[in-house]
Amino acid sequence: MNLATYARRNLFRRKGRTILTVLAVAVAVLIFSAIRTVGVTFNAAADDALSDRLATRHKVSITMQLPRRYIDDIRAVPGITSATASNWFGAKDPKERVPFFAGFAADDKWFEVFDDMKVDPAQLAEWKTTPNGVILGDILAKTFEVKPGDRLTITSDIYPGDWEFKVIGIYTPLRRTVDRNSLVLHWEYLNNDPRAALTKDQIGWVMTRIGGGVKSADMSRTIDKIFDERDDQTVTMSERAFNLSFIGAFGAVLTAFDLVSIVILLIMMLILANTIAMSVRERTNEYGVLRAIGFAPRHIVAFVLGESVLIAFVGGLVGVLLVQVLINLGIGPFIETNMASMFPYFRTPPSVMLTALGLALGLGLLAGVIPARGASRLKVTDALRRTD
Amino acid sequence: MATDPTTESMTDRKPDTKDAPYRKPGEVAGGIVTLKNVTKTFFRGKEPIKVLEGLDLDVPAGSFEALMGPSGSGKSTLLNLIAGLDRPTSGEVMVAGANLSRMSDGELAKWRSQTIGFVFQSFNLIPVLTAAQNVELPLLLTSLGGADRKKRVATALRVVGLEDRMDHYPRQLSGGQEQRVAIARAIVNDPKIIVADEPTGDLDRKSADDVLTLMDKLNKELGKTIFMVTHDPAAAEKASVQRKLDKGALQ
Repeated sequence: MNLATYARRNLFRRKGRTILTVLAVAVAVLIFSAIRTVGVTFNAAADDALSDRLATRHKVSITMQLPRRYIDDIRAVPGITSATASNWFGAKDPKERVPFFAGFAADDKWFEVFDDMKVDPAQLAEWKTTPNGVILGDILAKTFEVKPGDRLTITSDIYPGDWEFKVIGIYTPLRRTVDRNSLVLHWEYLNNDPRAALTKDQIGWVMTRIGGGVKSADMSRTIDKIFDERDDQTVTMSERAFNLSFIGAFGAVLTAFDLVSIVILLIMMLILANTIAMSVRERTNEYGVLRAIGFAPRHIVAFVLGESVLIAFVGGLVGVLLVQVLINLGIGPFIETNMASMFPYFRTPPSVMLTALGLALGLGLLAGVIPARGASRLKVTDALRRTD
Repeated sequence: MATDPTTESMTDRKPDTKDAPYRKPGEVAGGIVTLKNVTKTFFRGKEPIKVLEGLDLDVPAGSFEALMGPSGSGKSTLLNLIAGLDRPTSGEVMVAGANLSRMSDGELAKWRSQTIGFVFQSFNLIPVLTAAQNVELPLLLTSLGGADRKKRVATALRVVGLEDRMDHYPRQLSGGQEQRVAIARAIVNDPKIIVADEPTGDLDRKSADDVLTLMDKLNKELGKTIFMVTHDPAAAEKASVQRKLDKGALQ
C-alpha cells in the first residue's frame, strides 16, 4: 500500500456521488467541446481558404451587382491564371428535403477556379455545352436521389417559378472544407431567362486564381485600380477575407457561445467543489486521526487535491469519449450531410478535446483548493471531535 | 505472551539520531512525562474557560495511568497535551525528552508519529482500508520499505491476536476486533507511549475486558507507558495508577 491507495479508495466511498460528479464533468466537457466545435468549424472554411484565390465584389456590398464586362477586364490582368463570374441563385428544394443549399449561376470557368471541386472531365465537357445542365455536390445528389442524365426541378427565392435542369455531373471534394451540398448552373442560362431581367448582364462577384510569385495584396490593388474611375468600384480580397465577411455577423454569436462554454466549465467546477467539500466534511474526523498519527497538513492537501483532480480527469476522459462518439461519429457526419453549406466539415478537432481536458484538470485543481486548505488548517483536536 | 525477534524490536527501540533535536537529556529530570505548572484556557467567544490550572505531573516510564473524572474535568485536554495534539496556555510539557511547548506543528507531527500511539473511543479506522492497511498507515511516514512494513504489520496484528483478519475491512469486524486493530495501529511504530481516550467506551463488557487485557499486556510485557482516559471503574482497575481530575486539577 502507499498513500495513493488511500487517495484512490476515497473515490469510491460514495460511488453514486462520484459517478454523478464524473458525469457532470463529462457533460460539461461535451458541451464545451460541442460549442467550440461550432466556432472552430464555422471558421474552418475561412481558415482553409486558398491563398492564391481572390474574390472581387462591388465596393459597397456583396448584394450589389457588377457589370458583366468586368470579368473580361479582370481576366486580362497579367498574373491571373483563371477567373470566373457568378451570381447567387437563391436555390431552394421545392420538396424541402434539404433546408438550405448554395446555388451558383457561374460561367464555365468555375471548376477551373474551384479545382478542389473534382468533376469527371467528360461530364465537365458535357456541362459546358448543355445550357440547362447542372453539376452538383455528391451529398446534394444523394439527397435529391439524382444521377447524371436525370431531370431536376428546383425553385429560387430570387427568380420565381420552377427551374428545370438536367443533371450533368457530380463533383466530389478534394479538400475537407469544400461544400458538398451546392449546385452550379450556367450563368448564361440564367442571364437569358426573362425572370432574370433585373440582373441582366450583371454579375455578383468574380473569383480569380493568381499565378505563383504574384502577391495577392498586390493583385487585389491592381484589380481594384482598374475600376477606380468607373461607376461601380470594386473591392478585391483574399478568399479567406471573403469567407470571413459572410460570418462576420455571426462572429458576435460565436463570441457569446465562447462565453457560454466558459460558464459551463465554471458550473462544472462549482459542482466538483461542492462534492469535494462534502467529502472533506464527512472525513473531517478521519483527517484528524491522520494528523494525530503524524500526517502533515501537506498530506491532507495532497489527498483532497488528488481526489478532486482525479475526478476531473476521469470526467474529462469520459467527456472526450462522449465527444468522439456523439459528435465525431454521430451528429458530425449528420450535420455535414444536412447543413453542409454552413458546416462542410463538423468534427471536434483534437486540439479542442485537449483544451477541454486541460481546463477540466485545471478547474478540478481549483475546485479542491478551498476544501483542501480548510481541511489542512483544522486543529487536530477539533477535527477529532467532529463526528458529522 | 510469546516474543519473537520482531516483537522485541518494538520494545528495544534504540535511540534514533534523527530524534536528537527532541531529546535534551539535561531537561528531563525524571519521568517520561513531566508537566510543570500547566494551564490550559479555552475561549468561548471572548469568555475564557480555564480547563487546567497549575497542574504538575511526573509519570515514570512504564506506568499504566488511568485518568478519571467527571465530564469537563480536563481529562481529554490533559491527554491531548501529553500526546502533543495541543499546547498549554502556560507551563511546560516534557514528554519522552521533548519539550512540547517549544515545538512547531511540523515538529510535533513528526514527534507524534515516532513517540505516541493513539487509541480512540470509536476506533477511528479508515473504512476503505483493510485491517492490515489501517495498521500500515503510520509506517507510510517512515523510510521503511514495503517488505519491512509488511513484517511490522504482521507482528502488530499478531500481538493483538488478529493475524487471521489482516484482509478484513472494518465493517467485517466486530467492535472489539476493530479496537484491537486500532491498538495494532497504535503500536506498529513501536511508540514509547500509548494514549487511549475511552478505549472501552463503545464496547460490550466482554470486548472491553479483552481490550483491557491487551493493554495490560502492552504495559507489562512490552513496557509501554499508557495513559487511559476512562469513566469505567473496571477499566481503571487495570491501571497501575489512578488519577482523578476535577475542575482542572488533580485530586
